[in-house]
Amino acid sequence: MLVDDSATILLSISSILGKAGYTVEKAANAELAMGKFNAGVKIDLLITDLNMPGMNGIELITEVRKLPAYKFVPILFLTTESQQARKMEAKAAGASGWIVKPATADELLNTIKLVLK
Amino acid sequence: MTRSHKLTLSDDLTIYHAVEQKKTLLAGLAAAGDLKLDLAQVSEIDTAGLQLLILLKKEARAAGKRVSIVAHSKAVRSAIEFCNLAAELGDPLVDPAADAA
Amino acid sequence: MDELTSVYIQESREQLAEMEAGLLRLEQEPDDADNINAIFRAAHTIKGGSGVVECHFIEAFTHGVENLLDVLRNGKLAVSGALATLLLECCDHMGRLVDVLAAQSPEPDADLAARGDALSERVRANLAGEAGQASLALVDSDDEVESPGGGVVTTDSWHISVRFGRNLLRGGMDSLSFIRYLASLGEIIGIETIADAIPAAEEMDPESCYLGFEIRLQTKASKADIEKVFDFVRDECELRILPPHSKVADYLQLIKELPEDSMRLGEMLVRCGALTQAEVDHGLLAQNVLAASADAAEPLAPLGEILIGNKVVHKEIVDAAVAKQAQVGDKKARDSQLVRVHADKLDQLIDLVGELVIAGASANMLAIKSRQSELVETTSVLSRLVESIRDSALQLRMVQIGDTFTRFNRVVRDVSKDLGKEIELVISGAETELDKTVVEKIGDPLMHLVRNSLDHGIEPAALRLARGKPACGRVSLNAYHDSGIIVIEVADDGGGLNRDKIRAKAIERELIGAGDTLSDKEINNLIFEPGFSTVDKVSNLSGRGVGMDVVRRNILGLRGTVEVASSEGQGATFTIRLPLTLAIIDGFLVGVGKSSYVIPLDSVVECIEHKNLSGDRDFLNLRGEALPFVRLRELFESEGHAPARESIVVVQFAGRRAGIVVDQLMGEFQTVIKPLGRMFANLRGIGGSTILGSGEVALILDVAALVNIVTRSEEARLLPNRHAPASTALASNLSAVQSGR
Repeated sequence: MLVDDSATILLSISSILGKAGYTVEKAANAELAMGKFNAGVKIDLLITDLNMPGMNGIELITEVRKLPAYKFVPILFLTTESQQARKMEAKAAGASGWIVKPATADELLNTIKLVLK
Repeated sequence: MTRSHKLTLSDDLTIYHAVEQKKTLLAGLAAAGDLKLDLAQVSEIDTAGLQLLILLKKEARAAGKRVSIVAHSKAVRSAIEFCNLAAELGDPLVDPAADAA
Repeated sequence: MDELTSVYIQESREQLAEMEAGLLRLEQEPDDADNINAIFRAAHTIKGGSGVVECHFIEAFTHGVENLLDVLRNGKLAVSGALATLLLECCDHMGRLVDVLAAQSPEPDADLAARGDALSERVRANLAGEAGQASLALVDSDDEVESPGGGVVTTDSWHISVRFGRNLLRGGMDSLSFIRYLASLGEIIGIETIADAIPAAEEMDPESCYLGFEIRLQTKASKADIEKVFDFVRDECELRILPPHSKVADYLQLIKELPEDSMRLGEMLVRCGALTQAEVDHGLLAQNVLAASADAAEPLAPLGEILIGNKVVHKEIVDAAVAKQAQVGDKKARDSQLVRVHADKLDQLIDLVGELVIAGASANMLAIKSRQSELVETTSVLSRLVESIRDSALQLRMVQIGDTFTRFNRVVRDVSKDLGKEIELVISGAETELDKTVVEKIGDPLMHLVRNSLDHGIEPAALRLARGKPACGRVSLNAYHDSGIIVIEVADDGGGLNRDKIRAKAIERELIGAGDTLSDKEINNLIFEPGFSTVDKVSNLSGRGVGMDVVRRNILGLRGTVEVASSEGQGATFTIRLPLTLAIIDGFLVGVGKSSYVIPLDSVVECIEHKNLSGDRDFLNLRGEALPFVRLRELFESEGHAPARESIVVVQFAGRRAGIVVDQLMGEFQTVIKPLGRMFANLRGIGGSTILGSGEVALILDVAALVNIVTRSEEARLLPNRHAPASTALASNLSAVQSGR
């Protein structure tokens, strides 16, 4: 599942993942993503932006972790902010790790490989 | 009490089931002097699962009991091998019955 | 242009619009944190995307803007008018840079680049001057530590010692994933799982991670690569990495630092191949001796330099990642939430649906003729479906007018500053939807009307106060749906139209005669006449050679109307009425002689059958009210004679009713509007044409124009002393209805 309010990011990441053979479920905001989670969508990994209008990424991560089915699903967040505080906040909310934007296809796939079980 | 008891796990040995499996495994150990674990149907195992197996071994040792894994699935075997835990878990990894399964 | 870039361009334009709207709000509500965040987010998204599409000139410029916004967001810089203006200019500049990208130019031209540099300089000045420390805070504050093993190519083995944090599993990670990933960097030649931390059963939380690993890894990867694997868990795990050829003493230090029992650990290291048993025995013994002697620290001190401890910062890796760009090849987007469709494709679909509607109507007619009830039933089901498809297809093109409206925030802000007036813009009905093609074309007329209100409508503050009005003028934009049309209002609370002045000007321009009697409404609407301008001085805003006549012409081109209502001293309201869509209408088919005409169903009020309409009067008594009517037969000079029983279709437009006399009523009919050729552009009373199921052409009546013709000619006839400007137009049938008023 890929959640980002930027169409550019959605398109670029999903095309990299698509080419690598992953099936990508997309959501343009956290509310839409929550809708899918509440409907029980089966995913192996959640990648979400942090900065989004409405529900932000950290709130999304917190909410997703409350759902038993996704309690231990790897969650990566997208960030360009190198501030450690933000990363720690997201990790405290239950994120597994992060992807620094913009990432090359290799970096992206390597990171995903690392967290996928 | 040295009753032999066989426990077959069918769920994945993963974090999602860790809490209940801990109870199941400890209860199995409490009920038997010689617990045999059949893990042939465990299609997935992760850190949490491995920890439980190690815990069970430790507890058995402390209580003077025996736990042995009598059947492995491919996933369980490869995880044990990967972590070099075959000695720790002390069981024959090559089990014809499991191989057939 | 590749798909990703075009998506990026569109997205950036949307974000820029949001950014601009946010910046405009910034001045009014400088403390609105959500707003500042939204502005930051817009800039951030634009910058983020620019990296992905590798557009460096946008990235470089936006980076500075983002930094400034970040300082603002953190409250380290106060909002001021000058700052808002600077940010607005930056926003404009970003728009121009996006244009450069859209034009597929490799970089902005010298002029634009120079302007960008100047802006960047000002941005930097703001950052440095006012933010002081804050700007420094933007730089990564991580302490950079040189990585001793970085980049070393080796064939020998690394030793990695890791104890994972308890919360690893709760964070969705798995310790085995890390080890597997390490294995992908090279070859794990030895591994020991350290499970000593697992407590007794009752204390053991099965969701906590208690494991650690001692790993021998043979790899050509650098220390940075290895460290990066543990990036995500850096703050929670204990990680120690010994490069190849580390001294025995380093390992001993490692053993000492780790929580597990030293002897047992030594055993582990031997087992995983790091050390020999002799080395361990000797080393541990030596250490114990040292520990026993009081000053143990001294000989061990150098170890700290060699040992790559927890504090080594991996900053260089992050920086490298930032510097690189995503490489995207084949782009196939399947966005399940929002689908971006090229407008052309949509138009093509609408065209096809239009053809479908016509074909459906044709099939329907044939079915009815065939009198096969099953066929009739089937085709009627089919037409219902086609109708639904048509509605859905049209819905695809419907967009909210809000974006068009919000553009004017900027206009009002800039213009009122230029004019030295204080004016606020009030927007309502922003969610009202109308066809995209209409939205695109209504921008210019609206701009003109708004500027007209700003320039000529709103009085200077002193005059307003003298008139007992608040100093701050108000211009409002409103939109709403009204029986199948959309109404857009541009209103101001300014001085209103000066009717005496308008009248005098109209006489001077020979638009009306000196003795003509005109209603207030008619006088007001004279301003839409070609060449009419009451402003003596041409201002730099409205006086661009474009008058109100052009506004009206544009709106008429959209099959709409515009009129103005005003009360002197109180303000003026311009009302634009537009069809919701230009493509398809529900029509009411009527026949005159051998010809068929379509009346838009929205405007039909009722149909009356009438025997022997007297030939000399052009109005009839409809339930006590005089209803003016027009005979289509006469209007279009159709051949043949009217039948004994004629029908009157009562239509309504803009609150006025009129009757249209026809020979026969043929029922409702869905129709696709085919625009008339340029040759017929001046034909009033006809809005377009359509093709009937039978293949014949039917003209679509322009009800607005017809109602005008009918009601005005009636007024003229009833008040013979009044000069009706429209009468000449009427005499030549339909040629120039608009020129009269």
